[in-house]
Amino acid sequence: MNNDTALLEPDFLNKLNRLELVSKKVFAGKLRGERRSKRRGESVEFADYRNYTVGDDLRFLDWNIYARLDRLFLKLFLEEEDLMVSIIFDTSKSMDYGQPHKGIYARQVAAAIAYIGLVNQDRVSLYPFADGIVDEMKGLRGKRTTPRMLDFVSRCDYRPASDLTTACKQYAIRHPQRGIVIVISDFFDKGGFEAGLRFLLGRDLDIYVIHVLSPQETEPTVTGDLQLADIEDEDVAEVTISRALINRYKHNLEAYCAHVRDYCTRRGIAHLFTTTDVPFDQLILNYLRRRGLVR
Amino acid sequence: MNFLTPGTIALAGALTIPPLVALYFLKLKRQKYAISSTLLWKKAIEDLHVNSPFQRLRTSLLLLLQLLVLALAALALGHPMMAIERDREKSLILIIDQSASMAVAEENQLTRLDLAKREAKRVVDSMDENSRAMVIAFCDRATVPSSYDNDKDALKRKIDSIEQTDSTSMLSEAINLAEAYSQNIIIGTSSGNDVAPEASASATVMLFTDGRVADANDVSPQRLDLTNMEIVRIGSRSDNVGIITMDALRNYERPEMLQVFATARNFSDKPVTIDATLYFDGEHMDVQTVELAPGMIPAADDDSTPSDDDNAGVPLPGSVASIAFDEIEFASAGVAEIRLNTQDALRADDKAFAIIPPSRRVNLLLVVDDNRKLVDLLSILNIDLTIMSPDEYENAPDDVLADGSRSRFDVVMFDNHSTDRLPTGNYFFWGGAPIIDGVAETGLVRDEVFIDWDDTHPILRHTDVSAIEIFDHWKRINLPPEAIILIEGSSEHSNVLSLLSRDGSQFLICAFGLLATDDQGESVLNTAWMLHWSFPLFTVDTIDFLASTLSAKALSSLRPGQPQMVPIPPNTDTVIVLRPDGKQDRLPTAGAQKITYARTRRVGIYTISPGVEGGDRIAVNLLDVNESRVNPKTTFEIGSSPIATTTGENLVDEPLWPWLVLGLLVICLIEWIVYNRRVFV
Repeated sequence: MNNDTALLEPDFLNKLNRLELVSKKVFAGKLRGERRSKRRGESVEFADYRNYTVGDDLRFLDWNIYARLDRLFLKLFLEEEDLMVSIIFDTSKSMDYGQPHKGIYARQVAAAIAYIGLVNQDRVSLYPFADGIVDEMKGLRGKRTTPRMLDFVSRCDYRPASDLTTACKQYAIRHPQRGIVIVISDFFDKGGFEAGLRFLLGRDLDIYVIHVLSPQETEPTVTGDLQLADIEDEDVAEVTISRALINRYKHNLEAYCAHVRDYCTRRGIAHLFTTTDVPFDQLILNYLRRRGLVR
Repeated sequence: MNFLTPGTIALAGALTIPPLVALYFLKLKRQKYAISSTLLWKKAIEDLHVNSPFQRLRTSLLLLLQLLVLALAALALGHPMMAIERDREKSLILIIDQSASMAVAEENQLTRLDLAKREAKRVVDSMDENSRAMVIAFCDRATVPSSYDNDKDALKRKIDSIEQTDSTSMLSEAINLAEAYSQNIIIGTSSGNDVAPEASASATVMLFTDGRVADANDVSPQRLDLTNMEIVRIGSRSDNVGIITMDALRNYERPEMLQVFATARNFSDKPVTIDATLYFDGEHMDVQTVELAPGMIPAADDDSTPSDDDNAGVPLPGSVASIAFDEIEFASAGVAEIRLNTQDALRADDKAFAIIPPSRRVNLLLVVDDNRKLVDLLSILNIDLTIMSPDEYENAPDDVLADGSRSRFDVVMFDNHSTDRLPTGNYFFWGGAPIIDGVAETGLVRDEVFIDWDDTHPILRHTDVSAIEIFDHWKRINLPPEAIILIEGSSEHSNVLSLLSRDGSQFLICAFGLLATDDQGESVLNTAWMLHWSFPLFTVDTIDFLASTLSAKALSSLRPGQPQMVPIPPNTDTVIVLRPDGKQDRLPTAGAQKITYARTRRVGIYTISPGVEGGDRIAVNLLDVNESRVNPKTTFEIGSSPIATTTGENLVDEPLWPWLVLGLLVICLIEWIVYNRRVFV
């Protein structure tokens, strides 16, 4: 997928310009940015006082306090720093499915969130994963890097296996900084999704989970005697489609989605479920805003 | 339930069911369909397996339905018949065959008569309260064990009382009785209810028989509606070999030498080899082995019965064989018995008996005036010849001619002489007639020809009747109806040669004399036959026939059921008859010289004591082709209308295939619904 415009339309990008990513937690960044940092710094936002010690910058002495109390206090200001935004999105074979296409939808979401981060001078990293993290683009910052970001997102291939646990583990090991992590996947991982999310939770990150399915998965239209082939691992399920089986499948799917949501909610992970027939721009402008990821 | 063509079921099943199963498996080559993950589908399948115990059944429901359709179609092709209990009519007439062929042992050593009784009792059990039934048993005559009754226990007791006989089957008398009783029940019944004539006429006749009824075509019911007649076919065996004729003959030249003949016939559809053993008075004399070809064309398949030679009436080639025991030295009187050593269906025809009188030359009295040629001919025969003139005969004292009431001569031959002096004996009249009731000479017949004669009769079997030419005349003799006409002229009462039996005497009456008187009063030949080669043969055959009861041949045996006049010694009050089954009959004589004994229903030797020598034993033989052919008939003709027989108890066979086809259609409909439900989820 090399056509950038296939991912994000210019009109839509303009709409995104007004948005910014919101973190429920405040993190320390590397570079001075446009966000408050835990560090005291040189911004205009007052944070606290402390006693003067020898060697402190005299410019930050509060002379009014000295006049009243005859003691030297130093004014402390909050430092504004950049935010680290990591987007881990699923490029396994199972995403290469559905109408509208699940993989494209996931990339659009990833690209849109990344763009918002870039516009707001956040440090944006992109991690496509399949049986692990298959590629990475780290540390993008500033609107100028948008074409690189879009190019990277577009050219990721779909790979056979899906292993969220390995991908999250690799991410947690390589990236000690804290920040926002957004995981976009269908969560059809036969190894389970819980272990992977647990690795992220251990890093005290602000985690968002976007669960994407296609309408063909939520409302299957298959009929007859079929050999259902898993496009990831060629696993086969022989079924004779009956009303009972379809009902049972839907029931299981509902239960599975509920389980993902419950797992996330209980651990402070923001969870958002969507199907690919929900218009993509609506997802970003409405649902993500409602969930508090952007404002 | 039974099947008319069970083979078709196996064939249809073998041809259709394996391909269907194969097609079903082929059909299960499922279409491949790519999905993002089988994770949830597999879980759903497992859940369904766990939650639905009939999941496996449901997945193959279509196959099961299709198999069911094929099975029903195959069963329908097999012509299934279900025996259905039918409500019995108000009036039932149960006619049960007790003839010889009903003695055939079928399954569990039950005879056909036992089976017939069982079926009849079932019918009685199935009657409702308002029904009544009567029971008729028949063989060569019919009896009524029970008239119309609605007491089931009494009816069953009466049915049980029917005894086996070795007689032939004659149905017409039974039908006549049934008609007569049907008319009688108009008056009233034991329950006090009158039955309308219409109801009695519509009584249902149920005939329990193996179908071997000799006179079925002659039955012509007047009131009973036989279109509703139900014939329950009893029995299935057809393997039988029987003796169909038997005779014994002493050698003409050496009367102490005996020849015994019999004819055995195979009625089964398989060839048989059997031993025929000759016994004299129970003592083994000789054995012969007889090979017989099948007497029936084998059945085409298991279901159909073998076809017999009913229509042709001619036995199949090789199925009949003669058994001849020659040159057996046996001068005394006794009983000859031929026994077939076989375990076939019917035992009554495996043995035949002949009463052999002691060897003795025929004692012949010739009453002749002047017939040199006749005297010469008789003189050279091996007989004791006494010659008297007519006058001598008429004037002879009684004790010269008779011993008591019986003639002293085996045969008395009159030449041109009629007389009334006729003690019990055998008489042969040339050109004359006995002066007895019903016989009268009414004139002469001239210029006439013989138009009919019976050349199968023993008297005429070696005679060329067409070669007999009468030059002058013969006498016109009126005869009573029971006389057998052997040669008949063209005009009325032109009885040329007749045989009349009366009161133990036999009269052979030849209407022409051998000599005639010409115009000059000279004796001339009335026929050139005397010069023909067949004349001596005729004479010998005639003497043989008339004297057979006394000398050269065995006494003729009776058929089962035939009565016999038994001579008894003077001054005997009671005669005891020892039957073949070991039972005895005590018969009061009431001073008579002869009694009639008619309880000859079983095959064997009946011994009379005290008896007259030569008449103290009666041989009863079956010798009946119709009874020996035990293969049950599948179709039966009463009068000229064929009636199908049923095998099934008191039940009616209803074809089941329409129901099977209906079921098949219903299943097809269900299958269509199931298929559609499955496809359009």
